[in-house]
Amino acid sequence: MESWAIEVAQAALVLGLAPGLVGVVRWLKARLQSRRGAPPWQPYYELRKLFGKEVVVSRNASWLFRLAPYVVFASTAAAACLVPALAVERPLDGVGDLLVVVYLLLLATVFLALAGLDPGSAFGGMGSSREMTVAALAEPTVALAIFALALSAGSTNLGQIVARTLGDPAAALSPGHLLAFAALFIVMLAESGRLPVDNPGTHLELTMIHEAMVLEYSGRYLALIEWAAALKLLLFFALLGNLFVPWGVAVAAEPGALALALASLVVKLAVIAIVVALLETRVAKLRLFRVPELLSVSFVLALLAVTSSFLAR
Amino acid sequence: MTAETAPLLCLLMVAAYLAGAAGALAPLGPRLTRIVAAAGAIGGAVAGTVLATVVLVGGRPLVVTVPALLSVGGGLALRLDGLGAFFLILVGVVAAPAALYGVGYTAAYQGRYSLRWLGAMLNLFLLTMSLVVLADNALTFLLTWEAMSLTSYFLVMTEHERADTVAAGSWYLAMTHVGLALILTAFVLLIPPDGGASFAELRGAAATASPALRGLVFVLAVLGFGGKAGLVPLHVWLPRAHPAAPSHVSALMSGVMVKLGVYGILRLALDLLGVGPAWWGALLIGLGAASALIGVLYALMEDDLKRLLAYSTVENVGLVFIGVGAGLLFVSLREPAAAVLALAAALYHAVNHGVFKGLLFLGAGSVAHATGSRDMNRLGGLIRTLPWTAACFLVGALSIGGLPPFNGFVSEWLLFQSLLPAIGSTAPLVAPVMTLAVGALALTAGLAAAAFVKAFGITFLALPRSAEAGAAHEAPLTMRLAMVILAVLCALLGLGAALILPVLGGIVAGHAGLPRLAPPLTAGPLLLPPGGAASMSPSLVAIGLLLAMGGAWLAVRLLAARGLRVGETWGCGRLGQTPRMEYTSTAYAEPLRRVFAELYRPTEDLAIEVHPESRYFVQSIAYRSEIVPWFERYLYAPLVGRIAAWAARARVIQSGSAHAYLAYLVVALLALLAISLAWSG
Amino acid sequence: MDTLFARLVVLESSAALILGLVLLWRRGVPAYVSAFTWQSIVLAATAATVGWFGHHGELYVVAALLVLVKGIAIPRLLGRMERRFATQRELAPYVNTATSLVVAGLLVLFGHAVMRPVVAASELPTRAAMPLAMGLVLVSLFVVVSRKKALTQVVGFLMLENGIALLALLGAYGVPLLVELGVFLDALMGFLVMQIFVYRIQETFETIDVDQLDRLRH
Repeated sequence: MESWAIEVAQAALVLGLAPGLVGVVRWLKARLQSRRGAPPWQPYYELRKLFGKEVVVSRNASWLFRLAPYVVFASTAAAACLVPALAVERPLDGVGDLLVVVYLLLLATVFLALAGLDPGSAFGGMGSSREMTVAALAEPTVALAIFALALSAGSTNLGQIVARTLGDPAAALSPGHLLAFAALFIVMLAESGRLPVDNPGTHLELTMIHEAMVLEYSGRYLALIEWAAALKLLLFFALLGNLFVPWGVAVAAEPGALALALASLVVKLAVIAIVVALLETRVAKLRLFRVPELLSVSFVLALLAVTSSFLAR
Repeated sequence: MTAETAPLLCLLMVAAYLAGAAGALAPLGPRLTRIVAAAGAIGGAVAGTVLATVVLVGGRPLVVTVPALLSVGGGLALRLDGLGAFFLILVGVVAAPAALYGVGYTAAYQGRYSLRWLGAMLNLFLLTMSLVVLADNALTFLLTWEAMSLTSYFLVMTEHERADTVAAGSWYLAMTHVGLALILTAFVLLIPPDGGASFAELRGAAATASPALRGLVFVLAVLGFGGKAGLVPLHVWLPRAHPAAPSHVSALMSGVMVKLGVYGILRLALDLLGVGPAWWGALLIGLGAASALIGVLYALMEDDLKRLLAYSTVENVGLVFIGVGAGLLFVSLREPAAAVLALAAALYHAVNHGVFKGLLFLGAGSVAHATGSRDMNRLGGLIRTLPWTAACFLVGALSIGGLPPFNGFVSEWLLFQSLLPAIGSTAPLVAPVMTLAVGALALTAGLAAAAFVKAFGITFLALPRSAEAGAAHEAPLTMRLAMVILAVLCALLGLGAALILPVLGGIVAGHAGLPRLAPPLTAGPLLLPPGGAASMSPSLVAIGLLLAMGGAWLAVRLLAARGLRVGETWGCGRLGQTPRMEYTSTAYAEPLRRVFAELYRPTEDLAIEVHPESRYFVQSIAYRSEIVPWFERYLYAPLVGRIAAWAARARVIQSGSAHAYLAYLVVALLALLAISLAWSG
Repeated sequence: MDTLFARLVVLESSAALILGLVLLWRRGVPAYVSAFTWQSIVLAATAATVGWFGHHGELYVVAALLVLVKGIAIPRLLGRMERRFATQRELAPYVNTATSLVVAGLLVLFGHAVMRPVVAASELPTRAAMPLAMGLVLVSLFVVVSRKKALTQVVGFLMLENGIALLALLGAYGVPLLVELGVFLDALMGFLVMQIFVYRIQETFETIDVDQLDRLRH
C-alpha cells in the first residue's frame, strides 16, 4: 500500500514539476542573455490560460486530430511513471523497462506527427516529416546507449540499473558510462526539441520542427501537448540524472530517504537545466541536414560506450 | 477435442479446400462462385487451425502416411509437430479473414477476370501451403512446395493484361525456381546413399555427415528458402509480385507464404541438421539485419502503397531472421535459455507480421477498391470516406511500427531482449556482431515508424489529392469485417503476450539439443526473459495508457473550457486551402532521402520554365526523381544481361525442325545412359 | 583488471579516440589543431600514468617531450599553415560526415575484434585499452584516405602517429627511449616535409585540394 502511495506521489510530482522545469530553463536562458525573462512559473500561467480558452479546429481535421493530444499526453505520462524519479523499489518497476519508456515516447511522437499531417497545412507536413526523421535517426543511439547501461547493470530495468550503479560507485566514472551519458544527452537535445537540433523559442517555419507540427493546435489541446512536451523534458532530465548519477535516489521507503531523494532530484534537474541553458546560449541551431551528422556523432559515442563496456569485463 | 480427432480434422481440412476449389470451378453464378470459393477456404482454414491447436495442446504429433501415393519417394508422408502446427495456425489465422475479404473484393473482377480460376487457385494455394508444413519426407515437401509456388504464380497473374503484372510474374517464376533448385540440391545432398528420404532418415544422415557437407546444405537452404522469404539480395521479386496480385492474395503471400521460407530454414537447420557451428547463426543475423535495413529504407521511398507494404515485408522478414539467427547462435554456444527466447521471439514476430501485414494489405486493397489508385501522391483524406478502413489501417500501422500496446511492440521488445545476453558473451566476434544487430534493429524500428506515419498520414489524412480520392466510398461488409477481425487480433496478440509466449517457448524446446522443457518466460502478466535481465507487461502498459488517457480526458472535461470552433487551416493568411499545399508522399520522405543519399543515389531532373521577361517569374516547374535499387543496378542488371547473351548464343541450336529436336532427345538419352554405364562400371 | 591504473588508461585512451573523431565531425582546421593538441596532451598524460604505475621513470621524459613537440611546437606550425590557407575548409570530403562517423564506429568495432586475441593473451593491466588505440590508428588512417584537403590529411597523419605511440605505450610500456626519440624526430621531419609539400601544392594549383593532383598526369 505504502509503495503505491509513493508511486502516486511520484507521478503527481513529475506532472507538477514539469512546466516549472521548462520555465526555469527559459528563465536561465534569459538571464544568460542579459534579459530579465519571464518568471520560472510562467508556464503554469500559460497552461491555465490555454485550458480556459476555446479550441479552434481546422475544417479539414478528422477525429485523429482531436484524439492525438490525449494519446500524446497519456503515453508521455505513462512513460514518466516508469522512471524512478524518487525511489528504486517500486511496484511499477517490472511493468516496463527502459525500452518500454523509449517506445512509449515514440508512440507520442507518431501521434503528434500524424496530427501534424491531419489539417493538411504545409507547416504541419514539414514538421511531421522532420520530426520523424530525427526520431528515426535517434533510435539506434538510444538502443545502444541502453545496451551499454544494461551490460554493466545486467538488466534494462530502470530500478536495477540505478541500484547497480549505487552499489558500485566507481562504475559511474567508467568510460562506458560516461560515453553512454554523452550519447543520451545528445539524443535528449534532439528528442525534446532543444538547440542545436530544434529551436523551442521560434516560430520561423524554416527552422522549426516541433512547433511546426503543433501549429494548428489551440486551447486545451495545445495545453495537453505543451504539458506533455514539458513532461518529456523532465523525463529525460530525470533519466540522465538518476541513471548516471544515482546518488540520492531512495533505496528504502522512509520519509527521510524520500525527502533526500526529492532534494537530490531537484538539484540534478537544476544542474542539467543550467547545462542546457548554457549550451543553448552558446550554440547556434544546426542546419537541418547537419542534424543527422550530430546524431551519427551520438551513435558513434553509444557504439564506443558498448565497446568500452566489453572492455570493462 | 482429443488427439484422436486429429486425422479426421486433417481430412476435413483437405476436403474443405478441395471442395472449395471444385465448387469454384463448377458452373455457378458469379456471386455464388465467390461465396463457394470463400466458404471452402474459410472451412479449410478453420479446420487447419483447430487441427494445429489440437496437436499443440495434446502434445502428440499427427502422423498420416499414404504409401500408395508417390510410392517412388517413400509415399505421401504427413506429420504435424509443434513447429508445423505453429505455421499451420499462421496459415489459418490469415487465410480465413483474407478469404472472407475476397468475397467483396473480387466482385469488381466480375466480367474482367475469371472468378472461377481465381477461386480454385486460392483454395489450392491455401491447401498446398498447409501441406508444406505437414510434409514429412523430401518428395512430399518438394512437391507441395512447388505446387505452392505455381498456384501463387497463377494468383499473381490474375490481372494478366497489365505489362507490369507479366514482368512481376516472370521475375517471381525465375526466382522461385532458382530457389527450388537450391532446396532440391540441399535435400539430395542429405539423402543417404542407401536410405530413404523421410525426414527421420535425413535427421539421422545429417547427424553423421561431415561438417563441410552440413555447412553446404545449410548455405543452400538459406539461399533457397531465403529467396522465398525475401532475404536481401534475393528479394527482388517480392516488391514486384506481391503488389501485382489481388489484395487478399497479397495479404496471404506477404503475411504467410514468405514465412514458409522461415519454416523451411527452421525445419532444416533446427530440426534436421541440429546443432551447427556459430557462423550459421551469424550468417542469418547478418542477412537479417541487411534485409531489415534495406527493406525499410526502400519502403520509405515508395509512393505506391502496396509496394511500400511489400518492401516492409522484406524488413520484417529480416527481423524474424535476426531472431532465428540469434537462436541458432545460442544453440551452438550452448546457451539453451537464450536460444529458446530468441527463437520464440522470432516465431512471435512471424505470426505478428502475418496478422498486421495481412491487415495492411487488406486495407490497401480497400483503398485501391475505393479510389482505383495505389499512388499515395493521388490519395488523401480517406479517413472521412473510409472510416472503418482508416481505423483498421491505423491499428495495423501502429502495430507494424512497433508501438505499444500492439503486437509488433511485444515481439520487437522480445527481439531486443534476446540479443542482450549475447553482447555479454565472451565468444569471439559474437559481441561486435550483436552490437551491430542491435543498432540495425533500432534504426529499422525508427525508420519503420516513419514509413508508416507516411503511409497512413498521406493516404488517409488531410485533403484528397485527386478527384478519385475525393469520391471514394467505404468497402462492403465482408471486407470491413475481415479487417476488423485482423485488427482485433493485432490487439489481442499484444495484450495476451504473457499467455502466448510460453506456448512459443514450448514449440522450439526439444529441437537441436534444447531441453524438452522450455524455461519459464513469463510470470503472471509479466514477460520475463530468462536470466532475469528485464521484465515488461504489455497488458499492464495498455491499462496504464488507458487510465492515463481516461484521466486526462475526464480532467479536461471537468475542468477546462469546452468551446470548440471550426475554422480554416492556417496558411499564412491565405484563405482557401487546396490539396496542392499539402506535403506529398515524396516530400515527406525527402529528408531521409537526403540523409541516405549515398545508398539511394537518386536520379533527379529539375526543369524550371521562367517567364521570358524575368527569371524571377516561374511559369512551371517539373521535377522527376527515380531511385533504382543498387542491387538491381549492380547485381541483377548485369546478371540478366549475361543470361540473355548466353541465351542468344544458344539460339544456334534452335533450328525449328522437329527432327533436329528429336535428334537432341536421342543424343541426350544416349549420353545419359553412357554416363550411368561408366558410373556403375 | 579493475584497478585504478586500468581504469585511468581506458579513460585516457577513450578520450584520445574521441578527439580523433573530431576530425570527422568538424570542418574547420582550427578545430582539428586544437583536437590534435588535446590528444597529444592526453597521450602525454597516458605516458605519465604508465610511468607512474609501471615504475618506468624514462616515460616522464617521453611525456615531457610529447607535450613540447606535439602539444606546443607542431600545433603552432599547423596554426601558421592554417592562417595561410584560412579560407579553405573541408567542405566536400569523399565520404560525407554522417557516413564517415558510422564507418569510424565500425572501424573501432573491427579494431576491437582484431585486438581480441592480443588482449586475451596479454597480462598487462593496460591491455583493456589496446583495442581503443587500435581504433584510433584505424580511424586516423580512414581520415587520411577519405579527406581531400592536404591540411586535414596532415593532421590525420599526426593522429595516426599518436595512435601508434599509444599502442606502443599500452602494449610494451613504451619502446626504449632511444627509439622513441628517433620516432619523434621522424615525425617532426615527416611533418616538415609535408608542410613543404602543402606549400608547393598551393603554389602550383592555388588550392590544397589533393583532388587536383590528378592534373599532374596531363
